[in-house]
Amino acid sequence: MGDTAALLATAFTDTLGYWWIIIPTIFLGLIVGGIPGFSAANTIIILLPLTLAMELQTGLVFMVTLYCAARMGAGIPAILVNIPGTAGAAATPLDGYPMTKQGRGQQALAMSFVASSIGGLLTTLVALAAMPLLARVGFYMHSVEMVVVMLFGISLIASIAAQDMLKGLIAGFFGLMIGAIGTDVVYATPRGTFGFLELYDGVPLIPALVGLFAVSEAFIIIEKRVILTAKGEAAMRNPTWHATFEGISIALKRWWHIIWTSMIGLVIGVIPGAGAAIASFVAYQQSRTYSKTPELYGTGHAEGLIAPEAANNGVTSGTLVPLLVLGIPGGATAAIMLVVLQFQGVSFGPSLFMSNPEVGYGMFMAMAVAYLLMFLTILPLSRYMCRVTTVPTIYLAPIIISFTLVGAFVPREYMFDMQLALAFGVLGYLARRTGYHVAAILIGVILGPLLETYFMRALQKSNGDIMTLFSSTLGNILWLCLVASLILPAFLEWRRKTKTEAAA
Amino acid sequence: MSGRDYDHRRQMGGELIIPALAVCFTLYYFTTIWNSPWTAQVSAFSIGGILLLLCAAFFIKTALLLRSSEASLGLGGLVGIEDVRNGRLALVLATIGYVWLIEDLGFTLTTFLFIAISITALGHGKNVGRATATAAVMSLAGWAVFIWAFDTRFPRGWFETTMQGLMANG
Repeated sequence: MGDTAALLATAFTDTLGYWWIIIPTIFLGLIVGGIPGFSAANTIIILLPLTLAMELQTGLVFMVTLYCAARMGAGIPAILVNIPGTAGAAATPLDGYPMTKQGRGQQALAMSFVASSIGGLLTTLVALAAMPLLARVGFYMHSVEMVVVMLFGISLIASIAAQDMLKGLIAGFFGLMIGAIGTDVVYATPRGTFGFLELYDGVPLIPALVGLFAVSEAFIIIEKRVILTAKGEAAMRNPTWHATFEGISIALKRWWHIIWTSMIGLVIGVIPGAGAAIASFVAYQQSRTYSKTPELYGTGHAEGLIAPEAANNGVTSGTLVPLLVLGIPGGATAAIMLVVLQFQGVSFGPSLFMSNPEVGYGMFMAMAVAYLLMFLTILPLSRYMCRVTTVPTIYLAPIIISFTLVGAFVPREYMFDMQLALAFGVLGYLARRTGYHVAAILIGVILGPLLETYFMRALQKSNGDIMTLFSSTLGNILWLCLVASLILPAFLEWRRKTKTEAAA
Repeated sequence: MSGRDYDHRRQMGGELIIPALAVCFTLYYFTTIWNSPWTAQVSAFSIGGILLLLCAAFFIKTALLLRSSEASLGLGGLVGIEDVRNGRLALVLATIGYVWLIEDLGFTLTTFLFIAISITALGHGKNVGRATATAAVMSLAGWAVFIWAFDTRFPRGWFETTMQGLMANG
């Protein structure tokens, strides 16, 4: 125990010594995280010659910092201009963007940074302490349990649809159908591809994200001189430090909310292949379910912003657990880290903490230091970042369209993906103008294929017996939680109404 | 009924577009899986079936609202002369042009043209100088960061090839 503590302390101080690489990497991560199509994984690949040439510890610190900063950076455009940088930030604009339009962009950014930093830091420490236990989560989460986890995320459609249930559900199920485009998981039969080979792997996520959020938003915002409301514009004319401190204070007062939503992210993060998008949707849905003011969600509610941001940063720590303990990467970035570190002669698995403790503990310490330094370096910038909302839309809209459309091209390098993003842009524009929620469509596009994959796996394993979905204890507990989370809001609402009526 | 009352009715024409698209797509999707193994059909038929039911419910609701004169089939300002006035139509056309031309002209030139034309169109022909300057700064900054510094595989054309040649020759 004493040896481990000494090792951790040494790893922490050693990592602090790499501040000269951490700080520039934070800014690089913020940029690549903020532009759809660019991610930490892409950037590490692009900079692979540089990363491979670095000394082991330097490369490790660089990759981990980039990973954390890109995750945090994805939330910035989501809050300021309604464009999530990655799918993991897709739930962030639900409450972040309304806050910006009200002139509270600075507070929203501060809240997001606090929730992300604390969520990331806390889950790093928990992951470090409970690594053997968390590594087992991956073993217990089979396809049956994952079906229920996916349904948790998808049930957010119902929450979003609360204002007009029928239109919300149509948008969500339309998204699920679009998500079902591509070959089926067992026999690779092409379905709904319109003959395009580019769609055989399914609908690529980045063009859908770019189109539904960025392009459609750009077509909408030109109706106004700036994206802010009149009241918001007046507030933004003279931004002060007070707004940043107010954002910090609002977030810190919700410390318990940050803790439990980041833990959702951590647990989902340790499941290989699950990812930040699921975590942020599940966290938002759960946050709304157990809130005393669910009706405020979607209107610029602090908890609606904190939940997805804390959760998607919790995922960052979670994905490292199966990588380090089992040698199984929990996501794309972790997979690339695995390749780079294996090139440096590091072998992952249970023996890592004996053979290369500086790598095992060093990764978590790099993450902890990165979150600490990010908190200190980014927070003061929120006052300046939110100035982007005062740029006239005639300049903002073309810049958003050009840089996000080309971002849709980057992951697969198909011109088709830019055309697809434009098609999604038109769909998103029609949806927004006619009162359908684009987030509901996106949830379907993201989670639909995952749900189908896990569902088909479960059926395959049980020779087509649908009752397999209720065959495991953990699965049944999750089913009960899902049913409870669907019924509870209605019950709480009924009780609130009864109390109000009794009081009247 | 006065014309004023008519204007205040819910304009359902626009709201019908998404369900109509959803129905068309779902029916097309079904045709592509009709003779496929059950593994390809099971989730699509269940999700598609629910979607068709939801759309049917929306169409019935619309029909009832139309019958009781609470709604009309108007597009509710979804498409109109206002889109020409505020420059949206020009922006959409410029975006289509951007996607179409970028393969041949490359990122930098196409982005320059797109931003310059879009800002000019949205600004009703005013501030051409500022539009050109913004377009030049943004496209060159994009080239410098993403293509020159990071060697990202953006679409490349005449400008990128020329600059690469110039850089290679010192």
